[in-house]
Amino acid sequence: MNVKFKLLAYEKFKKDGFDALINDLRDSKIVMIDAKLTPEQEAYIIEQTMKQVSEKFAGIELASLSVLNEAEMGGFDKLKNALFETIIGKKRGFTIIGPAKVVHKIKKNPEELMVFM
Amino acid sequence: MMSWLTRLFGSLFKRQKEIKLGLYGPVNSGKTTLANRICMDWLGEELGTVSSIPHETREIQMKEKVTIKNKGKSLTFNLVDTPGIATKIDFEDFVKAGMNKVESKKRAKEATKGVIESIKWLDNMDMVLVVLDSTADPINQVNITILGNLDARKIPLLIVGNKTDLKSANLDRVKSAFPSYSTIGVSAKSGKNVDGLYKELFNALK
Repeated sequence: MNVKFKLLAYEKFKKDGFDALINDLRDSKIVMIDAKLTPEQEAYIIEQTMKQVSEKFAGIELASLSVLNEAEMGGFDKLKNALFETIIGKKRGFTIIGPAKVVHKIKKNPEELMVFM
Repeated sequence: MMSWLTRLFGSLFKRQKEIKLGLYGPVNSGKTTLANRICMDWLGEELGTVSSIPHETREIQMKEKVTIKNKGKSLTFNLVDTPGIATKIDFEDFVKAGMNKVESKKRAKEATKGVIESIKWLDNMDMVLVVLDSTADPINQVNITILGNLDARKIPLLIVGNKTDLKSANLDRVKSAFPSYSTIGVSAKSGKNVDGLYKELFNALK
């Protein structure tokens, strides 16, 4: 099976919008974005992909990871990071989204993701 | 003068806001079993049907005016049972579970609508019980997305680690996965520690 990967800059994802992302997923591409998506963005992607579910497209596997462990950060570091992320306009980390027919499972622990195809 | 009168009558006849308590979680974590337990305990009737086949609950179900009591005080809320949230729904999984192809496709279609409804209803909730299966790995994207969305909306929540009657239950694993939230272990099926859940609800909503 040919697996298609697409590495996407967050800025490009924002510019092209959710429809382009969903078209990629329906086209059996695994998309990796260089930012951690917000919970609202994740929920929106789930909602929009559910509308596309058919015999050929069974939805998605999705996982995102932060490069920082906020639970272990002190108050000042959290503030510094929040300020930095506001300036760069994205949350540092990455997100991987794949069509469920291609990506069977993404196992997550706090520091890494394992993709099973 | 008119605005003063409007405010006066508005406050006199303002309806008490009805509290909506939502049950959210992944598929087959026991949300409807818990809803039924709460409704049976306080209303004497069940809310919905349960099944081992995933996506049995495919529509929002609400029981209005559920009143629970504790130490002479009472608390009334509308209990909202939501379809389990999933990122994938494959009709072939229902075929494997023993359903025929036509029924499976229909169930899959309804299940996708259920997920969309559950997400849309998040904005209507005053408090949410996030029902997780304590026998399953809690670190998955559905759980993280639900918790993140509740946080983003500033909706108070309590994690309910369900199925603690089962040998493979591991409530500590749930607690350590999400240490910043309060977690209570229950068995909605057997009723184990459901009284503890009522006390927690009372503390949170009163």
